[in-house]
Amino acid sequence: MSESPWEIVIGLEVHVQLRTRTKVFASAPWGFGEEPNEQVDPVVLGLPGTLPVVNRVAVEQAILFGLVVEATIPERCAWDRKNYFYPDNPKNYQLTQKDFPVTLGGQVEIELPGPSRNVMGEHKMIRLHHAHLEEDVGKLSHSGSGSLVDYNRAGVPLLEIVTEPDLRSAAEAAAFLNALVTMLTQAGVADCDMEKGQLRCDANVSVRRRGDTQLGTRTETKNLNSISGVRDCIQYEAARQIRELEEGRKITQETRGWNAVNARGYVLRDKEDAHDYRYFPDPDIPTLKIARATVERLQKLVPERPFHRQRRYMEKLGLPYTVTSVLIADKALADWFEAAAAAYPQNPSGIANWVANDLLRDLSAATSAPDAFSEPSVAKVSLVDCRIKPAQLAGLVKITDEGVISKQQAKEVFAEMFRTGQDAGEIVNAKGLRQNSDAGELEKIIQEVIADPAVAKSIAEYRAGNEKAINALKGPIMKRTQGKANPAMIDQLLRKHLG
Amino acid sequence: MAKGFDIDHLAKLARLQLSAEEKALYSNQLSQVLTYFETLARADLPPAANVAQVIEESALRADIPGQSLGVEAVTKIAPASRDGQISVPRVVDDES
Amino acid sequence: MSDALHLLSATEIAQRLHAGTLTSRALVEALLIRYRNLNSKVGAFTYLSESDVIAQAEASDERRKQGKTLSSLDGIPVAIKDNIAVKGQPLTCSSKMLAKLISPYDAHVIEALRAAGAIIYGRLNMDEFAMGSSTENSALQKTYNPWDLARIPGGSSGGSAAALAAGFVPLALGSDTGGSIRQPASHCGVVGLKPTYGLISRYGLVAFASSLDQIGPMARSIDDCELLLNALASPDARDMTCFDQGQRTLLPPVAVNQLRIGIPRGILDKGVGQEVAAATRAAIDFYRAQGATIVEVDLPSSDLAVPTYYVVATAEASSNLARYDGVRYGHRSSQATTPVEMMTLSRSEGFGPEVKRRILLGTFVLSAGYADAYYVRALRARSKILSEHLAALEKVDMILTPTVPTPAFKAGEKISDPLQLYLEDIFTIPANLAGLPALSVPCGKSQHLPVGFHLVGAPLSEKKLLAASRVFEASHPYRHQQAPL
Repeated sequence: MSESPWEIVIGLEVHVQLRTRTKVFASAPWGFGEEPNEQVDPVVLGLPGTLPVVNRVAVEQAILFGLVVEATIPERCAWDRKNYFYPDNPKNYQLTQKDFPVTLGGQVEIELPGPSRNVMGEHKMIRLHHAHLEEDVGKLSHSGSGSLVDYNRAGVPLLEIVTEPDLRSAAEAAAFLNALVTMLTQAGVADCDMEKGQLRCDANVSVRRRGDTQLGTRTETKNLNSISGVRDCIQYEAARQIRELEEGRKITQETRGWNAVNARGYVLRDKEDAHDYRYFPDPDIPTLKIARATVERLQKLVPERPFHRQRRYMEKLGLPYTVTSVLIADKALADWFEAAAAAYPQNPSGIANWVANDLLRDLSAATSAPDAFSEPSVAKVSLVDCRIKPAQLAGLVKITDEGVISKQQAKEVFAEMFRTGQDAGEIVNAKGLRQNSDAGELEKIIQEVIADPAVAKSIAEYRAGNEKAINALKGPIMKRTQGKANPAMIDQLLRKHLG
Repeated sequence: MAKGFDIDHLAKLARLQLSAEEKALYSNQLSQVLTYFETLARADLPPAANVAQVIEESALRADIPGQSLGVEAVTKIAPASRDGQISVPRVVDDES
Repeated sequence: MSDALHLLSATEIAQRLHAGTLTSRALVEALLIRYRNLNSKVGAFTYLSESDVIAQAEASDERRKQGKTLSSLDGIPVAIKDNIAVKGQPLTCSSKMLAKLISPYDAHVIEALRAAGAIIYGRLNMDEFAMGSSTENSALQKTYNPWDLARIPGGSSGGSAAALAAGFVPLALGSDTGGSIRQPASHCGVVGLKPTYGLISRYGLVAFASSLDQIGPMARSIDDCELLLNALASPDARDMTCFDQGQRTLLPPVAVNQLRIGIPRGILDKGVGQEVAAATRAAIDFYRAQGATIVEVDLPSSDLAVPTYYVVATAEASSNLARYDGVRYGHRSSQATTPVEMMTLSRSEGFGPEVKRRILLGTFVLSAGYADAYYVRALRARSKILSEHLAALEKVDMILTPTVPTPAFKAGEKISDPLQLYLEDIFTIPANLAGLPALSVPCGKSQHLPVGFHLVGAPLSEKKLLAASRVFEASHPYRHQQAPL
C-alpha cells in the first residue's frame, strides 16, 4: 500500500450518558422505553422558579471516568450556561462546564487492527483534552408539517469527552471508541448502548500534506450515533477535503451533518452563522470543591485497564494473544478467569482456553443476542447465571492435568458441569469416568495382551524398530480396561514390557 | 465602548422582533445606558472576580428518584400537544 | 370592631387568636370586605380566591379548636408577590407571557408558610418579571400608592407594599434583586427586609437575576417582619445557593448604646431630596442620642454599583428569561409557521418594553467581543464592592443611608427615562451585589409621603438590623398612621 501524500487529523467529542438513576440536575428518573414526557418534573421542564441541584452520583461517575483515563481531577469544578434557543432545550440554555471541567487531560490506549486476528496490532496513546459534565436535551420527532417534543431525555447526565487531535485515520477513531466503550462499561460509568443513543460523537476532521506541521482547516460533523457511522463519516469527509484541496479549492470551516442512510455528509452551517453562546457561570450552582478523600475513595474503584491486563496475561501468565484479547474485552469474564487461575495457579493457559472457548461458547448459546454494537467475538455474556464457579473449572483442569481423566472425558465432564453446577470430581465418580492408573492391574492386562499370538507380528515389528507398531497394542488394552486406562501409563508400561 | 452595538443582531440573538420605532427607541436608550456604564471601563478593578460561593459534595443530591409531573400535567400547561408530546411547527435540521 | 381589624399587626392578631377573642375566619372576612371596597382603587392584588382563603381560615380555626395550632402564624394571612409559585394559582409575574400559567407546584417559602398554618392570601401586582421601580411595568394593571393615589407605590414589589399600606393584609412576601422590597417599603411607609443571600430558598421564586434575587418579608412593623422572616428562613436542598442548617446561625443583636453605625461619607450630598436628607439626619441623631456611635465610612466604589448591577442583572435575566418561548407553557403566538418564528413572535408579543430592553442589554453585555468589557469587568467590580462593604462592616455593625433618594413620584413621571429610574436603586443595589441583609424602616415624611431609612449589615446580621430598628420604631410609631384611603 503506497502511502497517501495526505495526513488526516481527527479529534473526537464523545457524549456519553452516565449510569445514574436520576437526571443530572433534577430528581426525575430516566431510562429507556418510558412513555413520552413521563420522566419530567418542574425542574426538567424549566418551569419558572425551578433550580438545578447537582446529582452526586453523576459527579462521582465523571470523576471515576477521569481516574480510569489517568486524568487530573481538579480541586474545583463549576458549571456554565450555554445559551441557544431550540425547542428540545427546555431552558434555552444548557448547563455545561466551559472553564472548570470535572476532569483535565488523560489518555486512552488503543489497538489498531493487526495483520490477522491472531496477531497483535499496533498500540497508540490518544490524549484527552478534558471531560465535562452537562445535561442532555429532549428528543424531537417530525410528522407532516409539525414536530413533537419529548423531554424524557432532557437533563440526562452527559459526560462530554474531548480528545486532542491525535487520531490519524477512521480506523484509529473506531479503535478509540471501542477502547473508550470498554473502559466506560468496565468501570460501570456508562452502558454505552448506542442503539439507545447512550453514546454520540462529533468528529473534527482536517487534512494536511504529510510533513506539514500546521493543522488544516477543520470541519465538525455533529451527532454521529454509531462506531461504523464515525468510521464512514471520517472516510467520507477526509476524502472530500482531499478532493477539494487537490482540485485547488479551500476548505471552509463549517459544521456538518451526516446522513447514515446514503452515507453522505452535508453542510449545517458555516462559520459566519456560528452561534454566539454567551457562556457565563451558572449563578444557581455554586463552584464545587472536590475533596481529595473522594478522589482517593473512587481511585479504589478503578478497574485494571484492559491493555494492562492483557500485557500481564501475556507476560506473567504466558497466555497467547488471541485468548487474552477475548478475555480483556469483558471484565466479568476476565475476573472469572482470574478467580479460576488463582484456584489452580499451575496452568493458567489451560484455564484460559476453557474460559475463552468452551465457557464463552456455551454461555453465548445460553444467552440471548449480543449487544448490537459489540464485536460478535466479544459478545457480552451473562456470567451471573453461570452454574460453573471458577474454582470448579480450576478443579476440572487440575484432574485433567493429573491424568485422572482424559482430555476427551474432560469435555464431557465440562458439559455436565455447565448443566448442573456439580464439581468435576463428583461427575467423574458418578459416571465412573476415573482413568485406570493402577499400575499392578494394568500390568496384568498388558501381560495377557502381549501373550496373545494375534499381536506377535506387531511386537516383532516394534522390536525391529518400527515405533508406530506399538500403537496396535494399545487398542486391545484400552478395550479391556473399558477405556479407563491412562494412555500415558499404558505407553510407559508397554515399552517396559517389550524391552 | 458602546461601538458595535448592533440592534438587529441582538434582537435575533434574543429572539425578539422589533419594529422600526422600537429599534430606534431601544438603540437610543441602550446607548445612553452604555455610556453611563463607562465608569466601569475606567475603574481600577481587581484582576479577577472572587468565586462567589463554594460548596462541598455534601450539598449534592443523592441519586434517588423523585416525583415526576406526569404527562397530563405537562400537556395541560402546554400551548399545544399531541399524543403526550409538545407540538411545535416543523423543525428543520439545525435551524438557527 | 371588625372595621379596625385591618389595622392589627400580625403579632396582635396572633395574641387575639390565641386568646380566643378573634377567629381567623372573622379576620379574613373583614379583610375581604376591605379588599372588595378598595382594591380597585389601589390595584395591589391581581388575583384572590375568596372561597379558598375562607376555607384556609376555617381549617386554621378548626386546628385551633383541636389544640393543633401549627405556629404563631397559624390563621394569619400572608399575601404573595406574583412571582412566587403557589400550586393551583396563577404565576403571571405580571407578564402577558405567563398570564394564563397556573403553577403546578409550590415554592419552598409557600410550603414553609403552609407548614406554619399561614393563609396563602392572593397574588400581588409587580413590575413585569420584577423589572422596575414603580410597578408601572405590570402588564396586568396599575398599582397606586395608598398615601397618594396619583403616585406609584415603588417596585417591583409595589403590590406587596401597597397591600400592607392599604390594610389589605398584615404580612406580604416580596422579592428583591436591587431594592424591589426596600424601595416600595420606603415609598409606602412599611417595613421591608432583604435577607442575606442564601438565607431563604429561591426554589419557586421566578428568577430575574439569580445571583441577586432574594425573597423577603414585608410588614407594617418590625416584630411582624421578624415573625415572617423566621417562618421563611429554613434550609432547602432544592436551592444549592441556600444555606444548610450549619450555615444559618444569625448574629445576636447588639444593645443600642453598644451599636456602631456607619454613614458613608458625603452620602446625603448628592441627589438626595431635602426632606429625605432631613429625615435621615433625624434618624442618625436619634441613634446618637440613644448612645450609639456614629462613624463615617468610606465605600469608594459606590459609584460603580449601579452600572455593575445593571450589567450583572441584565446578563442573568437575558438567560433566565430565555425559557419563555411559547413551546412548553406561556404565551404562544398564533402567527408562526416555523419554530424560530414561533419563539420570536411569542416573546415579542409576550414581553413588555422594559423586559425587552433589559434582555437586549443583557444579551449585549454577554455577547462575543463585549463580554470581557462588560460582564467580566462587572464581576470584578462586584468583588471590589463586596470587599469594601465587608471591610466597612468590620468597623461598624451596620451602614445607614436613605432607602431611596426621593419620595414616590407621580405615575407616568419617569417611565420614559430608564436611566433615571435605574438611579432610584442607588442605595439599595450594593446590598444585593454583596449579598448582605438590608432593611428599610419608615422614618418620616416628605410632605405627605412616607420616607424610610436603610440599614445594611454583615452577612446573617438580620437580628441586629431588626433590633436596632425596633428601638427607632418604639419612639417613632409610624405604623399607627394610616394611609388616607
